[in-house]
Amino acid sequence: MIRSNPEELIRKSIAKFVDNELIPSAQEIDEKGEFPMEMFQKIGKMGVFGIRYPKNKGGAGGNTTLYCIICEELARGLMSVAAITAMQCLMGTNFLFHFGTKEMHEKYFLPAMRGEKISCFCLTEPEAGSDLGNVSTLAKKTDKGFVVNGMKTWVTNGPVADFYTVLCQTDPAKKLRGLNFFFFPKDTPGLSASKAFDLLGTRTTQISELAFNEVHIPHEYMLGQEGQGLNNLLSILSEIRTMTAALAIGLQRAALDDSIRYAHERAQFGRTISKYQLIQAKIANMAVNLEASKLLTYKATRMIDNKEECLKEASIAKYFATESACKAGDEVTRIFGAYGYSMEYSAQRYYRDNRFLLYGGGTHEILQPNIARWVGL
Amino acid sequence: MTVWIEVDLCNGCQRCIKTCPYGAVELRDGKAHILDRCTSCGACLEVCKQKAIFSDMEPKVIPDFSDRKGVWVFAEQRAGKLTSVSLELLGKAQELAASLGQDVSALLLGSKVSGLAKSLINHGADRVYLAEHRALKDFRTLAYTKVIEELVARYRPNILLMGATHVGRDLAPRVSRRIGVGLTADCTELSIDPEEGILLQTRPAFGGNVMATIANRYSRPQMATVRPGVMEPRPTPGKKGRVIRHKVSLKEREIGVKVLEVVKEKKKGVNLSEAKVIVAGGRGVGNAEGFRKLEKLAAAIGGEVAGTRVAVEEGWIPPERQVGQTGQSVRPELYIACGISGAIQHRAGMMNSRYVIAINKDPRAPIFQVADWSIVGDLHDVVPEMIKELKKG
Amino acid sequence: MRIIVLVKQVPDTTEVKLDPKTGNLIREGIESIINPDDRHALEAAISLKEKTGGKIIALSMGPPQAVDALSEAIGMGVDEGILLTDRAFAGADTWATSFTLGKAVEKIGGFDLILCGRQAIDGDTAQIGPQVADYLKIPQVTYVFEIEAVRKKSILVKRRMEDGYERIQCELPALLTVIGELNTPRYAMVGGLIDACREKAPIKLWNAADIGVQTCDVGLEGSLTHVIRTFAPKSQRQGEMIEGDAEAAAKSLIGKLKENSLI
Repeated sequence: MIRSNPEELIRKSIAKFVDNELIPSAQEIDEKGEFPMEMFQKIGKMGVFGIRYPKNKGGAGGNTTLYCIICEELARGLMSVAAITAMQCLMGTNFLFHFGTKEMHEKYFLPAMRGEKISCFCLTEPEAGSDLGNVSTLAKKTDKGFVVNGMKTWVTNGPVADFYTVLCQTDPAKKLRGLNFFFFPKDTPGLSASKAFDLLGTRTTQISELAFNEVHIPHEYMLGQEGQGLNNLLSILSEIRTMTAALAIGLQRAALDDSIRYAHERAQFGRTISKYQLIQAKIANMAVNLEASKLLTYKATRMIDNKEECLKEASIAKYFATESACKAGDEVTRIFGAYGYSMEYSAQRYYRDNRFLLYGGGTHEILQPNIARWVGL
Repeated sequence: MTVWIEVDLCNGCQRCIKTCPYGAVELRDGKAHILDRCTSCGACLEVCKQKAIFSDMEPKVIPDFSDRKGVWVFAEQRAGKLTSVSLELLGKAQELAASLGQDVSALLLGSKVSGLAKSLINHGADRVYLAEHRALKDFRTLAYTKVIEELVARYRPNILLMGATHVGRDLAPRVSRRIGVGLTADCTELSIDPEEGILLQTRPAFGGNVMATIANRYSRPQMATVRPGVMEPRPTPGKKGRVIRHKVSLKEREIGVKVLEVVKEKKKGVNLSEAKVIVAGGRGVGNAEGFRKLEKLAAAIGGEVAGTRVAVEEGWIPPERQVGQTGQSVRPELYIACGISGAIQHRAGMMNSRYVIAINKDPRAPIFQVADWSIVGDLHDVVPEMIKELKKG
Repeated sequence: MRIIVLVKQVPDTTEVKLDPKTGNLIREGIESIINPDDRHALEAAISLKEKTGGKIIALSMGPPQAVDALSEAIGMGVDEGILLTDRAFAGADTWATSFTLGKAVEKIGGFDLILCGRQAIDGDTAQIGPQVADYLKIPQVTYVFEIEAVRKKSILVKRRMEDGYERIQCELPALLTVIGELNTPRYAMVGGLIDACREKAPIKLWNAADIGVQTCDVGLEGSLTHVIRTFAPKSQRQGEMIEGDAEAAAKSLIGKLKENSLI
């Protein structure tokens, strides 16, 4: 039976969207610095947000490889739009999908799949980043449910989200074992988001603080069994890291494509700069890093799809692809010469946006020691 | 049906590779090798000097068409006015008829259009087949097809040409299927093969830089369409010709469509086909603002602004200024292509310009292949300099 | 309403590049796409179905890889795809192609409307629509840019002309060829694309025997026109490269125009 290959088909379809819709408006969206609602809705219309979820439960019936292909293609167009999509597909909706009630599914999950509601995921606190044992947003159990107090920061989509998945502590004595995820609709009394932060890169991303002041929520808003928060987080950590690697691949491709195009156009001393070996070396290195990033990343996605444990592979992919994206963002601005310093060209955006990748899914200063440990130190 | 190569006989000369219209032969270990793309067209068989290529195709028998005479042109009229392409085709038809020693006829269909016959004769028609009927007033595919089918059956022409207009491109394929003949669309060149006496129809093909000559050996009349603006009219003032009336019987119910309304939309004062100088822009212009620069250049040099399909789709210029396959064909004295890559679809519309200037940042842009003068550079820098230079006088 | 959409997979020729040294086409990286006009036909069919209900079948002819065009059509919202694929179909001109497609449409049967793009970007002939319509003996309207109304036995459309448009009422069943002005095609749903790749996907493959044609009537053998020669278009242009920065180049260019009395 002759059938199409879903990976090629979806890549091509999303690539067309990126080339025709996202790239032409990337500069404008970035300069505006607002949540790219129109783009978000268009992506929702293609059913992208359900890519990881099964068809019979409102998803598209895809897998992690397809999810990462989409993230990669979108990141080739504009990192912030790709990042919002990545969040909506995974962190923002995953626990709601697995642990939410039927009503929450109807009222929040399905609309989120269609791009009608914006999701959000809150881990970091002013005093707790990678050190999750220090999470101090407290959810105190009462007869009627929970009362939550505390503060989250670096909340992506904070000011615009329609609902939040929040990591809270239910019993400080239990440290990591006391962590649990909770669901909050936007309009819950006592919940308030700050103004969006001013950012170096991914300037349309709306990141803010989220304050919890005597927020009352019912029991069923606890997502998952009590005490399983950390395990639940770990269950998607490999996928988060691999997805971040895919975003990094997208940025590398954009930087490489622009570099090649510019090297062919720009002439100095009577020939295009593509003829100069130092430019060739830069472009060759970008190409090599890109290829290696792809191999590492898609090895990890396939392991996830095969339900194999792959935190090591995912961490290595995230580390390498992100470092390569940072290098690519640097090199493209050099190849562009002074034009790389101009806000009119997209080279500068790759240079700024790559920084976003360093923090999501774990900083490299956390990843490197872990990798060292896994290989025997 | 297969084509194969006897490897022992092949000397790797690559003639077949160059000839294959489908790119379906490649060299492997110094020998020609036929790929899956092969359509068994047999073009390689003729060029192989080693006689190393074989085929199990049986040559198709060419029927005897010696009784087929005459070069016909469909004279398209709308609201009682002849389209310019009809007269252009009559110009070419005279040339073809002369090489064949046959004569030229025009098909004139409509309602109360007999007055146009004279004009057709004065542009080279020896005969005008006139079909007048109320049902033919507006162009309707099935009505026109039926009349042409009858005329062809009765008078048995050798060649039938139509303009590649919106009417011609609707009618010609319908007629060709109806009367059982092949059809070649959008020809840029027509000539008679001196030996075989058949019509050689040349058109751009295979996505770009290839021209294909197509023959229609197995059916008559040999049908082709030609885009407006490609051929030149050759007036024959004072010529005598005959008008032959064809009796039409048509019933509304066999026509299938009703034209409820014909709406003319005013062109906004552009006739690109008559412009002497055209300044055209493509994707490289970047935005509507960029087109202001081109307008200034056009004003300074005394020309019209035009653009590619992309420029129209982006909304940088209105559709009536589009040049190319889906736009207009133009033939100005000077065509200045700014930021146009030169896809075949665009080139098809401007190939007949007398002089072409190309300004593009990308030295690989195909537009440079058809330019008289080329500047590899940013139009946003070059165009203002040109305006400055022109203003100096 | 039962609608058949004729879809062709074509190489994306809009972004063609030539090798500056050899003048040859750079073939690498040229992807296969659904022919742009056909995409508008698909969109028209899907939005008609959204209004009136019914079923849409996409019909294509091509090599096995052309199944991708049908998969994408299903992702957009088409119900079923049929690919006519057989070595015997290769090398067909429009005469043989319209015969093959016509035979397949007869086998599908029971349709109210056939939609297709005005023309394909790899051939630009615009012949297939009218020829299929003639084979099936149904009326046609070409260059459709608006579908005003669909009635039980007729359809009301606007047809683009060089100098305006015509409003046309056409009896059903009929064939329409459409142009880009008609609509903005939607992107495929990713879930639909995934489904289209499954074993159970509603895609059928038919060969010459399936549609009951003899190989001598299809493909190159069944064609009436034949390519007898191909050649690179001889450019009679001088092809002079003008060097220097913008100012110098502009200056020498204007000089050349004056020399040739063009200004």
